[in-house]
Amino acid sequence: MASMIEAERFQAARKEVLSVWSTGRDVTESAFAYCEQRGDTGKFDLRLRAAKAAGKTLLQPRGGVPLVEQQIELLRHLETVGTADLLPLTVDSYTRQNRYEEAQRYLERSREANAALLNGFPVVNQGVANSRAVLEAVSAPVQIRHGSPDARLLAEISFAAGYTSFEGGGITYNLPYSARVSLERSIRDWQYVDRLSGYYTERGVTINRESYGALTGILVPPAIAVAISVFEALLAAEQGVKSMTVGYGQNGAIVQDVAAIQALEALTPLYLSRFGFVGVDVTTAFHEWMGPFPMTDGRAFGLIGLGALTAALAKATKVITKTPHEAYGVPTKEANAQGLLCSRLMADALAHQYPLDARAVAEERGWIVREASTMIEKALELGDGDLALSVVRAFEAGVMDLPFCPSVYAQNKVMPIRDRRGAVRYLDIGNLPFDRETVARNQQLVSERLDGLSGDPLELVEKDINFFLEADGIPVPEVR
Amino acid sequence: MEQNPLEERKGRIVTGVIGADVHVVGNRLLAAALERAGFKVINLGVLVSQEEFINAAIESSADAIFISSLYGHAELDCQGLREKCIEVGLEDILIYVGGNIALGKQPWPEVQQRFLDMGIDRVFPPRTPPRVGMDLLEKDLAERRRGGAE
Repeated sequence: MASMIEAERFQAARKEVLSVWSTGRDVTESAFAYCEQRGDTGKFDLRLRAAKAAGKTLLQPRGGVPLVEQQIELLRHLETVGTADLLPLTVDSYTRQNRYEEAQRYLERSREANAALLNGFPVVNQGVANSRAVLEAVSAPVQIRHGSPDARLLAEISFAAGYTSFEGGGITYNLPYSARVSLERSIRDWQYVDRLSGYYTERGVTINRESYGALTGILVPPAIAVAISVFEALLAAEQGVKSMTVGYGQNGAIVQDVAAIQALEALTPLYLSRFGFVGVDVTTAFHEWMGPFPMTDGRAFGLIGLGALTAALAKATKVITKTPHEAYGVPTKEANAQGLLCSRLMADALAHQYPLDARAVAEERGWIVREASTMIEKALELGDGDLALSVVRAFEAGVMDLPFCPSVYAQNKVMPIRDRRGAVRYLDIGNLPFDRETVARNQQLVSERLDGLSGDPLELVEKDINFFLEADGIPVPEVR
Repeated sequence: MEQNPLEERKGRIVTGVIGADVHVVGNRLLAAALERAGFKVINLGVLVSQEEFINAAIESSADAIFISSLYGHAELDCQGLREKCIEVGLEDILIYVGGNIALGKQPWPEVQQRFLDMGIDRVFPPRTPPRVGMDLLEKDLAERRRGGAE
């Protein structure tokens, strides 16, 4: 599994991948000329680099609907009304699981009814020309966002259409998104995507790759997100990726959340250079809270604001925004724009302020770096220096793990819990290879929280998941 | 197979997240709550097809199927499920569906009605506490055991 996929083998694999669905035949080398002709418009990595240099936090919403005209209308609204800096093309769930027949059926029914029957844009079924039509209708760069353990064909169609940023990775788009796909397989399939990104990059079209650092979306201990992101950055760089975004999802304790972004920024370049990967631009993505969302607008906006504020304080390169409809599912374009505007205010207001206790952040960052490095080093030891093998064996042994994971390929032994300040700690460390001091500190913070508790600590964990919900519960509609 | 008498009395429930959906957290919390309340739970996890729900219900002689969905495709994924259950002789099995089951913010009474029309017995809006579903389940099961038709 080691090192860059060899050219001949790669081209043979591409032929096979492109034959899976009819739209694959429209993938040609024309994308290179097409991207060149578009100039800097749509170059995702340029926008990220400029923001990072200026210390600005860019705003990016999520959003995908099945039809071209609907998608254009949505993106134009997010760009003009919502002031989004970067745009999304969120892909529907059938496509994510490579279920193109079902995607086709509901795409056709969406067309007949001029309605949205899918929860995203089915890029593969829409094909190169239709996907390009979306891109051409807006001026901000657009990223493909999904959740696919095997995104090879999706990446082929997306890159050929001119999309220059692609989210996901062999770990972060497998473990939170599937039940029975082995890491060995998903990493291999994502090495293809990373190689394809490298192939485009070498031909002048830099593809930005992003690790989905929010993972399962609730109470992911920062060190786990950091360790996984670092590995995905290394795996991507190994295949020739030169623009890498690493990510983390808001847990809600500002000091810890800011420290997590700083830890990503410290550790990722360190490991890239240790493995000899040079010239890789590293940027960061901060996800506004991915867990259960309040149903009332006021509380939802409060939470969106808290997320954007944290992202701005952390100087994350971009923040992925939420909407007041989050509790109800796929938002309208209007609600989506409101989430952006709320985030915009926070990001702008906080751009030049540092109202955080720098010492507290530094201390927290130190512990995150320490925990993450311990996991990474142990994994590398298990993998005999092979990156992919390190990840596979680390999750097998539980020295890397992910709580609330639907996949059987993580041990799921780690159980998070909040401490008294709301920061995420470990109720159960599982097999994470932490040193004695780390364990002792965690123990102390957790026992402070559990002090005086009678009954099942898991009920506290449930409360921690629902941390931001309405205190008294909301009126539940009548069930008949 | 040896049965725990308490579980036998309370009922057997097949749980899972239907279709191409992987939102596992609510599923885990619901399964744990059902188990704590004394039900026998056959939890199929995520990405569960209609056929898998039905096969598990047959194998375990389940009293009810609890379907979770958070991603907006529930209506597509549940179509024809009741008919398939009837085909294989599960006429009486209770089917409950809950979660974010519509695409986007839609009036709840309309969403609920569409699922009831599909032959779903109970339909639950987002964020329903497990207790609400369990209370209704106990009521429905008691009615079935009395032989009371609806």
